[in-house]
Amino acid sequence: MTLLLQLLVNAVCNAAIYALLAIGFGLIYRSLRFFNIGFGAVYVIASYVVIALSETFGIPLFASIPLGIFAGILSSILIDRLVFSPLEGYGAPTGVLLVASLGVYIAIVNLIALIFGNEIKIITKGMEPSFTIGPIIVTRIQIAQILIGWTGAILFWLSIRKNTLVKAIWAMGIAPELVIALGLPYKRMRAIVFSLSALFAAAASIITTLDVGIDPHVGMGALLTGAVAVIVGGVNFYWGWVSGASLIALLQAIGVWLFSAKWNELITFGILIITLIFRPDGIFSPKRRAEER
Amino acid sequence: MVGLKIKNLSKTLLGMEIIRKVTATFLPGRITALVGPNGAGKTTIFNLICGYLTPDNGAVFYDDEDITGLQPYQVARKGIGRLFQDVRIFEGMTVLENVVTACMPYASESPLFPFMRPLRLSRLYKHARERSCYWLEFVGLYAKKDYPASELSFGQQKLLAIARLLSKGFRVMLLDEPASGLSPIATKKVMATLERIVSEDRDKTIVVVEHNMKVVTEMADWVYFMNEGQVAFFGRTDHVLGAREVREMYLGF
Amino acid sequence: MNYIIHLIIMIAIYLILTLGLNLVVGFGGLLSICQAVFYGIGAYATTLLMMKVGVGFMAAVLLSVLITGIFALAIGIPALKFRGDPFVLVTLGFQAIVFTILYNWVELTRGPYGIPGIPRPSIAGYEVTELPEYLILTSLFAGVIIIFLVIIYRSPFGLALKALRDDEMAAEGLGKPPFYLFLGAFVISGMVASVAGSLYATYVTYIDPTSFTLDESIFLLVILLVGGTGNLKGPVVGTVFLILLPEALRFLGLPDTIAPNVRQILYGLIIVAFMFLRPRGIAGEFKLR
Ligand SMILES: Nc1ncnc2c1ncn2[C@@H]1O[C@H](COP(=O)(O)OP(=O)(O)O)[C@@H](O)[C@H]1O
Ligand SMILES: [Mg+2]
Repeated sequence: MTLLLQLLVNAVCNAAIYALLAIGFGLIYRSLRFFNIGFGAVYVIASYVVIALSETFGIPLFASIPLGIFAGILSSILIDRLVFSPLEGYGAPTGVLLVASLGVYIAIVNLIALIFGNEIKIITKGMEPSFTIGPIIVTRIQIAQILIGWTGAILFWLSIRKNTLVKAIWAMGIAPELVIALGLPYKRMRAIVFSLSALFAAAASIITTLDVGIDPHVGMGALLTGAVAVIVGGVNFYWGWVSGASLIALLQAIGVWLFSAKWNELITFGILIITLIFRPDGIFSPKRRAEER
Repeated sequence: MVGLKIKNLSKTLLGMEIIRKVTATFLPGRITALVGPNGAGKTTIFNLICGYLTPDNGAVFYDDEDITGLQPYQVARKGIGRLFQDVRIFEGMTVLENVVTACMPYASESPLFPFMRPLRLSRLYKHARERSCYWLEFVGLYAKKDYPASELSFGQQKLLAIARLLSKGFRVMLLDEPASGLSPIATKKVMATLERIVSEDRDKTIVVVEHNMKVVTEMADWVYFMNEGQVAFFGRTDHVLGAREVREMYLGF
Repeated sequence: MNYIIHLIIMIAIYLILTLGLNLVVGFGGLLSICQAVFYGIGAYATTLLMMKVGVGFMAAVLLSVLITGIFALAIGIPALKFRGDPFVLVTLGFQAIVFTILYNWVELTRGPYGIPGIPRPSIAGYEVTELPEYLILTSLFAGVIIIFLVIIYRSPFGLALKALRDDEMAAEGLGKPPFYLFLGAFVISGMVASVAGSLYATYVTYIDPTSFTLDESIFLLVILLVGGTGNLKGPVVGTVFLILLPEALRFLGLPDTIAPNVRQILYGLIIVAFMFLRPRGIAGEFKLR
């Protein structure tokens, strides 16, 4: 029973991180309608910039973390400006964008591996301070994960409801032609989508790295977790993304309890496939008929 | 009763009832026209007949067989063919291949067929090519038969789609605006062919959606006039097109 | 010399994989990223049949094809309810799931430790051990499979797949059943990959799950994207080019520690460049949707 409780606490942490990933991935997937694997590269870049700054140049974490986030945002916008925007200008279909983003991911990840090596890198050394609440142990970084993740999710929800530009970005996903018809600043909105997406990727990446370290190839897993959360929860329904993230984290915890952590991937993708087959619009969104899509 | 019949068809999409209790009969040996303003639901009727949409209510009968809810390919295999309003050619193929793929018998499309019946396959291909060339010649595209289909102009693509449909020898043909985008000469030719098809083979049923009233008057025997998802008028061509209400609703005079 | 023979054998194995995948990606127009699953199941099934059951090489190859075919059917039936991104995702999901099973079901596959000492193929009592003999064996298999696939490419089945790829609605309207035709292509492509797996396992005589990862599936897709799809030429050009590229890099004198990463960076850049310059590949006809 103690184990289960402990696992549930871990699940809440993981859910917070997965929610950040889902929002970061979902922003681009929903507003711009393409499956951006480059998101995984941005995820890796943010943490490695923090590592480079703090390890190599000895810059303290409170300074290097914002710089890492900034680097993530910059690279996200740069990738869009250099690759996706021009391709879209040529009228490339979404399949081409997906494959191009795969190319971007492979190139960047291996560049990082070339510089930093393929092994796992750890930032924080020594024991993480932890708190004991009854039978459960929570570390400081876990509390930070929960706080950052859930604050991020709620702040973004508020901005969808209050901020006009974010509202417009959200609406763009349903009616892209509206942006042009209403004379909205498409380029600026695009830049905002890519920056916000990178902000969430970087946040998720850095708080995970502080906890368990990072290797250059984890970007794909992070991207896929975000993507599965969005699709399982329902692309068109914001709380669906967060619920999807929570569901994955919860089922993984139950999986660890019943079997072992090694079957996590099986659980994540199992949920994805089952959802797509039985509820293609997502578990948490209202049912629609195939013809109306 | 032979022929194609729809009974009480209704369809609601996105909360709008775009087809409301439409009943109609399309007789063999006749050309029936479906006319009406844009958005009246003509294309949707074709989608419902061919299985691209499933009706919420009502049924589709073909020779007294209930074919409601069949998959589009099953409907096609019953002998009901369709020309799409937006042409829909196979862009990655040559003009000839477009027609050949339509002509091949269904049984030959099993992956194992070339291994089981290699000789029969080459005969089938030869036959399909001959037939395809005949129909390409007929619509005036023979000279372009080895061009990539994507290089054809819109009018030519439409002719190609028509050739593809005719070569298949469907018993029922549903034609969605076959004349739009065609030159007057090509229109005449296509219409003459359709008339010939029904007069030579009294078994064939043709339904056309057409905006050109001259064309409708010349070739259609019966007309269904649709408005806002309903059949507003039905009758012999001259009666319907002569009716004052139809002229007001549709032609605006 | 041995080095060149080795390269030809690898090209032959990859030709089987890419020409099979071509049926789904090039003809069907479906971006499938689980070809390495079928390659892996073929390799593991052959290995286990030969080592645990004691079946002969030819029988193991045929049985593996059958087993892989059943897996392809089981994956294809749910996956082919989808097109576009969801199809990509479902195939990707199965790739991840099967890899996890190969990696973690240690009792059956020995997981990350891999299976060493796979017996050499022996056909009608003749054991294939020398490299040149192996070259002949692989070439024979590849030859037969390529002929088989080319016949399929040119069959009405291939033509119908292309019709569905270019316009599914119009093809359906001509009586072509999308689900069954796509499923046929998917299963054939999986069964063909199984043979490549059998050849690979008995050639290298050691397998572990890392040969059948998502990266491998992506690599196969990249070969098709670079070479082009929808015909015979494209995948052949792509396979030869991308298998020889790392060897060309080796001649440039890159140290072994960084060579794999440099190679991957090049792959990535090539993919992006191709999406700009020739989204149909060097010799392909199919356009990505
Ligand atoms: N898939 C669909 N989803 C929602 N509405 C549709 C769909 N297809 C057609 N409609 C609507 O149905 C109405 C009838 O369309 P249609 O049958 O194409 O008319 P017509 O062919 O007579 O011009 C239109 O108002 C159209 O907007
Ligand atoms: Mg219409």
